[in-house]
Amino acid sequence: MKSELFEVWGDTVDGRHLLYSIGIGAAVSLGAFFIAQHLLVGWVDSAQMARAYAMLVGIVGCLAGGAISALLFKPKRHVIEHLADPALRAKILIELQNEYGPLGSLADLPPATIAELREMDLYELFADYEKGLGAPAKSPAATATVGVGAVSGNGGQS
Amino acid sequence: MIVPLMDQILMALGMGILGAVIFAGIGLISGSDETTTLAPLTLLVVLLGVPAPGVLTFFLAGAVAKHMTHAVPTALLGIPGDTMATPLMREANFLRNLGVPHIALRKMISGAVIAALIAVPMAVLFALMLAPFGDMIKQAAPWVFLLAAVAIAWFSKGRLAAVLTLIPFVMIIVGLQTMTAQFGVKLSVSYFLGIAIGPLIAALFSLLAPAERETMRRQQVRTFSLSPDVKSWGGFFPNPLKVLDSKQSLWTAITAVISSATFVFSPVAMTVIMGELVGSRVKHVYHRLTTVITARNGVTESTYLAEALIPLIAFGLPLSPVAAGPAAPLFNAPPRFSVDATTGEVNNLHSLLSTWEFFGYGLLAVVVAILIAYPFTMNYAHRAASYVSRKISHEAVISTFVGLILVIGIWEGGLLGLLVIVTIGLLGGFLSRFLGFNIGVQFMGYYTAVLSVPALVALMNA
Repeated sequence: MKSELFEVWGDTVDGRHLLYSIGIGAAVSLGAFFIAQHLLVGWVDSAQMARAYAMLVGIVGCLAGGAISALLFKPKRHVIEHLADPALRAKILIELQNEYGPLGSLADLPPATIAELREMDLYELFADYEKGLGAPAKSPAATATVGVGAVSGNGGQS
Repeated sequence: MIVPLMDQILMALGMGILGAVIFAGIGLISGSDETTTLAPLTLLVVLLGVPAPGVLTFFLAGAVAKHMTHAVPTALLGIPGDTMATPLMREANFLRNLGVPHIALRKMISGAVIAALIAVPMAVLFALMLAPFGDMIKQAAPWVFLLAAVAIAWFSKGRLAAVLTLIPFVMIIVGLQTMTAQFGVKLSVSYFLGIAIGPLIAALFSLLAPAERETMRRQQVRTFSLSPDVKSWGGFFPNPLKVLDSKQSLWTAITAVISSATFVFSPVAMTVIMGELVGSRVKHVYHRLTTVITARNGVTESTYLAEALIPLIAFGLPLSPVAAGPAAPLFNAPPRFSVDATTGEVNNLHSLLSTWEFFGYGLLAVVVAILIAYPFTMNYAHRAASYVSRKISHEAVISTFVGLILVIGIWEGGLLGLLVIVTIGLLGGFLSRFLGFNIGVQFMGYYTAVLSVPALVALMNA
């Protein structure tokens, strides 16, 4: 039977695996709790303390149940290692402009932040963007396009 | 005298380390809500009879560590680490898309370090200023809770709907209590757990309803893009003041002080508002992104610490959203800790620790959490995010919580305890989803039922 995927409590699960996991979690945690309670009531003087310790064992049982489920059922996630594409960075600047308005000028930044931008290879991106703004200040849409052009290397206004 | 004190401090240190390690781990799991995880584990520590200083350091170190490691999924995977991380998502995603998620991560946790260190003395200071009114507020506790419940409901997403929903919600709790009392069972933890874990219970029930199941169905697994590891600094424990520039440190300190004073407001709301305050004062967009994310994560620490410490020191009553939710077991954990509304008598950490002990153990907890979670996040963030997203399935997380519901419910009240958790969880989960009647308001509803309703009944009979 084909696996059925559902989004439950913020992430994707397989329906069948979820059912088994709940069964395992219930059996292991309650099993640990009842066995501990049965054994401890004889050993520990105060019945209340015996129950408190049994609860602690039950909690360890919850974690054990979770660990078993983690070993049996793999995550339903596709994880890829991925560095944001440098070519797309210019696009991000336009998104930022739409979100926050004018991006501000590098001249306002303290030296520490300039150094940080240089270290991250982001200084040129923002510098080119500013140059793009300076040259043809006609409409916001046009400046944004020029900004992108400048980054891809054909700005040449320096 | 000296030796017992040393013993106490060592024990508090041990519990602080335990809390920091456990919650540094939990923080890595995306979507692990603070209330759902902090409240039950703190409760367990209380009920196992750990001395008062150890209970305090366990909770505080846990909260501080969690709000550092929650930056890992937030910055590297683009999914919020927990409820408090949601206001950080916008800045985190922009920085991720600019290819500098590691900058976002380091700024966030460095802001957390500074804010956490500032918040403890500030919280003690504000608590001392409020303490003279403590007795007055304790006398009027039932009415204060009623007012607080209405106020917190009004400021929730549900607005008027949430205020009005308080009435049937309180009725259900009073009804359930009357019913279990007939069997000689008095429950409290089961209500807390039911409320905290309600969204999961509601989701599991939805999965059984054919129509809801179709809307929850997914054709493919979700794709997460994990940012590669970049380490651009030497050593193991970088100085947070060097990770931040002077403007960022200053804004983090200012917002930490402000958010320590505003302990009655929702911590998520404070995080959003403080971020806006800072953002409007930084001109360049890159600097704004990094400064806002630093200050916001700082606020997640300071608001949590202050909202737990101020009501503990000044009143002993859970009069803030954090105190009513994740920190609830510090105030009320029968049979050990209790709040008696009719006499205004309080028996919890408030009566067991002096103000100076709160200050000393509070700082101890913060320092322990920083020493554990800060270098861990700085050095192993990428490996940790990769391990959690590739090895720990969501099924396993749900399995653990289902076990928790069963064990705690049956431990507290047998079958009745379990039934109360499921009833309150299902109801609360749906009310939260459809009406914005959130977990914080539900906790206040519980307090209204146990504290205000008896006083109201007495007033009507008089």
